[in-house]
Amino acid sequence: MTRIQFRVLYREFLFRVVDLEVLAPDGDMSKLLGQFAGLLIFCSLWLTPIAGLASTADQRNRLLGMMLMWTAQHFLIATTMLAVGLFAVMSWESTFPDRRDVLVLSPLPIRARTLLFAKLAAVATALSITVSTLNSLTGLLLPFGFASRGGAMHVVRAFGAYWITQFAAGLFIFCLVLAVQGLAQLLPRQAFLRISSWLQTGFFVLMVTVYFLQPPFTELQDLLANARALRWVPSYWFFGLFQQLNGLALPQLAFLAHRAWAGLSIATGGAAAAYLICYLRTLRRIAEQPDILPRRRGLHWLPPFGDSLQTAVAHFSVRTLLRSRSHRVMLTFYLGIGLGLALYISHTPEVYERASSFGDWYRLNAPLLMASAPTMCAAIVGTRVVFSMPLDARANWIFRMMPGADITRCLAASRRLLYALSLAPAWLACAALFFWLWPWRIAAEHLAVLAALGTFVAELSLFHFHKIPFTCSYLPGKTRFNMALVYLALFLFVTQWAADREMAALGDSALFAITLGVVVTSAALARWRTSAAGHSENGQVHFDETPDPAVITLDLHQDGVTTMQ
Amino acid sequence: MLELRNVTKRFTGIVAVDGVSFQARRGEATGYLGPNGSGKSTTMKLITGLINRTSGEIMFDGERIQNDLTAYKQRMGYVPEEPYLYQHLTGLEYLVMVGQLRGLPMKPTAERIDGLLRLFSLGDDQHVPISSYSKGMRQKVLLSAALLHNPDLILLDEPFSGLDVASVLVMRSLIQELAARGKVVLFSSHELEIVERVCSHVVILHRGKVVADDSIQRLRILMALPTLEEIFSQLAVEQDTAAMSRAIADLVMA
Repeated sequence: MTRIQFRVLYREFLFRVVDLEVLAPDGDMSKLLGQFAGLLIFCSLWLTPIAGLASTADQRNRLLGMMLMWTAQHFLIATTMLAVGLFAVMSWESTFPDRRDVLVLSPLPIRARTLLFAKLAAVATALSITVSTLNSLTGLLLPFGFASRGGAMHVVRAFGAYWITQFAAGLFIFCLVLAVQGLAQLLPRQAFLRISSWLQTGFFVLMVTVYFLQPPFTELQDLLANARALRWVPSYWFFGLFQQLNGLALPQLAFLAHRAWAGLSIATGGAAAAYLICYLRTLRRIAEQPDILPRRRGLHWLPPFGDSLQTAVAHFSVRTLLRSRSHRVMLTFYLGIGLGLALYISHTPEVYERASSFGDWYRLNAPLLMASAPTMCAAIVGTRVVFSMPLDARANWIFRMMPGADITRCLAASRRLLYALSLAPAWLACAALFFWLWPWRIAAEHLAVLAALGTFVAELSLFHFHKIPFTCSYLPGKTRFNMALVYLALFLFVTQWAADREMAALGDSALFAITLGVVVTSAALARWRTSAAGHSENGQVHFDETPDPAVITLDLHQDGVTTMQ
Repeated sequence: MLELRNVTKRFTGIVAVDGVSFQARRGEATGYLGPNGSGKSTTMKLITGLINRTSGEIMFDGERIQNDLTAYKQRMGYVPEEPYLYQHLTGLEYLVMVGQLRGLPMKPTAERIDGLLRLFSLGDDQHVPISSYSKGMRQKVLLSAALLHNPDLILLDEPFSGLDVASVLVMRSLIQELAARGKVVLFSSHELEIVERVCSHVVILHRGKVVADDSIQRLRILMALPTLEEIFSQLAVEQDTAAMSRAIADLVMA
């Protein structure tokens, strides 16, 4: 009986890692999961040559070769930790039984223990799949290069060391998130639910920031000199663990492996305690108390956003973004990527070489110019993506029924909202930074270019957006995750090129006027194109994402003869 | 007057509504009855314009609703069968949003919302998220949203679902009052006793087709049956209910 219950619950929980209600009526869960797996395998495909090249480069210089190989190893471990960490935060709701689980399953003769073990097994499976797919290619190919010496036994040892380390690193970060979640569950349930969303957001920012800001090393001396700093960076602990398991550990770095084991023990212990707390306290509390205590006081006023329909759409969207945890987390994910890219760009070796002290930031520099673009773009693209994710899709009937909800007015509302929620805050943050750092004229010129760039990106992102934010069901399969890295590389290349041109233009009035003119014209053209696309449609706002047809008809009939109307 | 002329709706070959024709007149509440799956809610959605008909015409006050769907929607209020609401909004925020979406003037709408919340006993909970509301409270929010713009046509799909006894009594009187004040009221319900008390005219649907369309009084005389429940059983219930319940009990206890 218990075994059958366990199997049924396990399968149910495993397929609920992703929120089913987000999907369109025609949405296919297996397709969405397949897409996630595809994304991870694609990442693995990209990581393999990057890490492979690094690990095999310049074997003539033994020390340099070893450092490159170590860099590759650390990069792979840190990337796994980041991916698992993001997965842990994204599946925050799924890791512990929620109110729905308790209310649906409590009347059935199921032990709380069975429920918890099924949940744990489902989470463990999802975690294993994440680590395995992300390392599917790197884990098969790179241990050959990572072996301490030639010979089959050393390759086997490197292979084992690689997979043990990656799973241990993934387990550590996942358990760490669980442990913190478990600690927070000691708070009253409503307080936990409120703090929970902030914890989730905090983890996101922390993980992305740590990933991009962890101290790099290019020489052995760097590594040894930074030993004190490395004590606090978990990816280096597991790098030390890999060296230990692979039989290549330097005595000076042995403490890293010890830290890894200690950290893993503490995190798994914390996670076990979290589940115990859930088993003993939370399950009962979930049934007894409402999920969210009503908040009677608070700021209810919001400014108008145009006519009454546009104001209704905008207020609804702002409230959704403020109150929906899943949407906030998704937005934070994009902001985290933007912040990470900005930090990464502004910490390039070129900047390090030029900026020996913090005072040099006060001089105009291309990396800082370049870093403002990803911040702006991530805010806009993230907000636009979040607009596409519905909340309570079945409740959108109220919008469907409303008179006068045409594309033009809805597009205008979405545009104002996108500008107010993403472009304006990102621009203001940049303005504060640049006016503080640089002379006002240079700062103002760059901010003018940045505003035009933001408008261009916002208008591009709204092209064919014929929806009311948060109301249209989502159909997985249209997002080309697999192209994300290509787009990212292209974006970085174009941004660097544009930053160099802008750098040259900022000191030259005529050149600056031309540069600004080009960007403003592009923004105006993008806006015209987006508005024109809205007018050319049949005026219907979309509430259901429809799949692209498998077969595109050409409306030709009778053996190629076009029908006459 | 609301009029359906030979309205048909097919879903990928399955006929949900098959040539339905009836009229719902001003000044009377029309009951729309039928067993589960008979096509009641589909008809309601067709009348609201949420889904498109396959064939036939839907007219309101002599005009095809498709001629000016926007103007028609301004005159219609709808309470759906399932209380799907944006649960992250408070009751007040939801009603304000509906008012804005309908383009209603701000100040009088705010006063009307305040009055509706008070009369539906939701005043104390107006700043509470709908996620914390009971089913009856959600139903009251839906009703308030449907009545907010003083519609000429009121479509109520199972409006008594989840309401307590006092609210049912209020709702019953409200439907009669609205009809008496010249509104077109069409409401579907499984509560035949209430329909019998509230409606003067009923339309009974079975397997997507209209099997009765008349006043309750005339149906009683024509079919020589004393209650609407018996008329409904005769026209729309195919199974021998007593035999069926015996079979279920036998199966469970075997």
